[in-house]
Amino acid sequence: MSQAATTAGAAPAASVATSEQYNYAIIKRFAIAAVLWGVFGMAAGVWIASQLAFPFLNFDIAQITFGRFRPVHTTAVIFGFGGNALFATSYYVVQRTCQTRLWSDSMASFTFYGWNLALVLGVISYTMGITQGREYAEFNWQIDLIILVVWVAYFMVFLMTLLRRNQPHIYVANWFFMSFILATALLHIFNNIEVPVGLFHTQSYPIFSGVQDAMRQWWYGHNAVGFFLTAAFLGMMYYFVPKQAGRPIYSYKLSIIHFWALVFLYMWVGAHHLHWTALPDWVSTLAATFSILLLLPSWGGMINGIMTLSGAWDKLRTDPIMLFLITALAFYGMSTFEGPMMSLKSVNALSHYTDWTVGHVHSGALGWVAMITFGSLYHLMPRLWNVNLYSLKLVYVHFFLATIGIVLYITAMWVAGIGQGLMLRAFDQYGNLAYTFTESVVFLHKPYVVRAIGGGFFLAGMLIMAFNIAMTIRSGIKAEAREAQAASAEARTA
Amino acid sequence: MKHESVETNAGLLIILTLAVISVGGLVEIVPLFYIDDTIEEVDGVRPYTPLEQRGRDIFLREGCYACHSQMVRPFRDEMLRYGHYSLAAESQYDHPFQWGSKRTGPDLARVGGKYSNEWQVQHMIDPQSLVPESIMPGYPWLAETPLNYSDIDRRMIALKRVGVPYSLTEEEYEANVEKFGEEHARMFDIRNAEDSLVQQAQTENFDGNPGTITEMDALVAYLQVLGTMVDFSEYDDGHFAEFR
Amino acid sequence: MMGMWEWITDMGNSKMVALLLFMGTFIGVVIFLFSNRRRAQKFETYRYIPLDDDDSHREPVARRDKTESDEQ
Repeated sequence: MSQAATTAGAAPAASVATSEQYNYAIIKRFAIAAVLWGVFGMAAGVWIASQLAFPFLNFDIAQITFGRFRPVHTTAVIFGFGGNALFATSYYVVQRTCQTRLWSDSMASFTFYGWNLALVLGVISYTMGITQGREYAEFNWQIDLIILVVWVAYFMVFLMTLLRRNQPHIYVANWFFMSFILATALLHIFNNIEVPVGLFHTQSYPIFSGVQDAMRQWWYGHNAVGFFLTAAFLGMMYYFVPKQAGRPIYSYKLSIIHFWALVFLYMWVGAHHLHWTALPDWVSTLAATFSILLLLPSWGGMINGIMTLSGAWDKLRTDPIMLFLITALAFYGMSTFEGPMMSLKSVNALSHYTDWTVGHVHSGALGWVAMITFGSLYHLMPRLWNVNLYSLKLVYVHFFLATIGIVLYITAMWVAGIGQGLMLRAFDQYGNLAYTFTESVVFLHKPYVVRAIGGGFFLAGMLIMAFNIAMTIRSGIKAEAREAQAASAEARTA
Repeated sequence: MKHESVETNAGLLIILTLAVISVGGLVEIVPLFYIDDTIEEVDGVRPYTPLEQRGRDIFLREGCYACHSQMVRPFRDEMLRYGHYSLAAESQYDHPFQWGSKRTGPDLARVGGKYSNEWQVQHMIDPQSLVPESIMPGYPWLAETPLNYSDIDRRMIALKRVGVPYSLTEEEYEANVEKFGEEHARMFDIRNAEDSLVQQAQTENFDGNPGTITEMDALVAYLQVLGTMVDFSEYDDGHFAEFR
Repeated sequence: MMGMWEWITDMGNSKMVALLLFMGTFIGVVIFLFSNRRRAQKFETYRYIPLDDDDSHREPVARRDKTESDEQ
């Protein structure tokens, strides 16, 4: 039997058992949606990056101008690509580590349709100019309500599955996913309290104004990074890194410390987006202090992930999926070092409002979030369809395209951000401003071109992934059909 | 309490996590609402007129905040480039705030009155015709699209609900007269909002096209009022430093 | 005693109070994790949960050339 397991004939029996035991259908849908949103969102990103380098690309068409299209990009990559990937992996991880089937197939399916409906409506409404004007929360109030309902359903599915587990201990990855679900609910509700103009009117006005509204928005904005783009993806990391390595996580105790420290510290740091503004000074100072402290749990988590490979470093040479996961952790370490540094008020005075911030976000978003997602999806996809990955070579190609893209992107943004920051604060010998704002815009042209090229590299990698996964799924469907045929033939002869 | 009971009990895990994540937000946000020096007392700051508010809605609709901040920081270079640093009071009627996060273009907190209406209109239609190096998109449709102001009263009622002192009764109107002067108080009266909007657009004729009230009228009206409400010559140099 | 409570409930001191609470809890978690050797060892057994479930999947290509296979 053990030899037979590797041949085509015997595998289906086991796979049928697994797919009955676990709800894989919902994970398949979310995983495919993640890839599609990834392609769309990254293409939108390359498009708006090109508009900044070559403004004629706005074509005087309202629907595709930079201002309206930027939220299309951010929403598609954060909530489309990232969100769908999180649904897929959290549903997978919670089933596998609790050894139980997902609670309620119909509720799970509702989260899929509801979430993606909200995203499609959101993207269309932005191009029509319907927006709340709150960064990363541009959905207008009707869509906010859809998202709220979906999120409650998600919470229910996740919680009920946890409660029905066949494993006494709740594995740490699920803690991260749970904190992400709770925090996102809290953030989404509080940041979107608005008074609509009318029931069928898309416009609404937020209950707070000025300082309070700014604080609320960046409390939301930074925790969207902290819980949506960090805690949740750490949940992914705590399952897929050990699983792909075939070794347990380096230290479980460290993961517990990591969890509580991270969950506590993140909520404090939002105000570092508002240094030197009309926000009271003490809030800024407090946020900067906690931002520095945040370095500790972040690096604790990074070390925990990377050290999982200790003693098996050769895997990095033979396994491109491992390469994705470990590089993601390295970028996580880098951007969680850069972040606290930029939250220092003196550094922030230069870096804020410049492209340095944009570069920092993308070293986290491309380097950490996207890379860990790519690795996890490459691990996940063959298992869902019970086939081998179509091409391992293409995974290598994807990895190198993505890495080149990130390096070009970040370097260009460092040059742009620091360069512009220095130009704008330069004085000539008479104490007058040395440069006009327009001169700094001229300077930015070259970095913007390089950035768009870097984004193009990253998008090319994403397209290759989509192709690789499409071919993998195709062979999975074919194999399934063959097996079904063989089974029915067998039944007839019997 | 044992950690075991936390990690084997989903409910407890949820409650503890919620408690932990709430602390940070509460400690930072709640005090902003009652600490007196969060928002300074400054003369001159007033709500937006109906036309300016519609311009503000368009500013949001086009996503201008993605590239333009409205927050001058207290640095020498910014004060030379843009003017006096921004005060918390100046955005107290901003629902939502528009401080921004990125300056792909210059800060707009004090752009009001810096350029003529004609310049603003031409710059919106074709930015490169005035600043060849600019990477701003053109917004020619604003000058061609008539402004929809049929729902202006409903918009103002919504804003009133969130705290902007627009008036619906005679009493509220009188209070506004006292606080903002009669000329402005009339603009803030929801009962004849449509008339005030039309009147302001026709008398000031921002887009140079007296025939129709366009979205350009509203947007330019908004841009021209930004940062002009406080007369800084009335205050000593160090006056606002104590609030920082 | 009353004085201490007044200090704690004064919102002006909220930052300090929260910081102390956090430091206390955090040190508590660390002590809890490392004080008892048996407990520490039990925690470390949870590391194996992701590897416990039977992976009925055929060996993916990526893992063909590794030495220790988890399904024999």
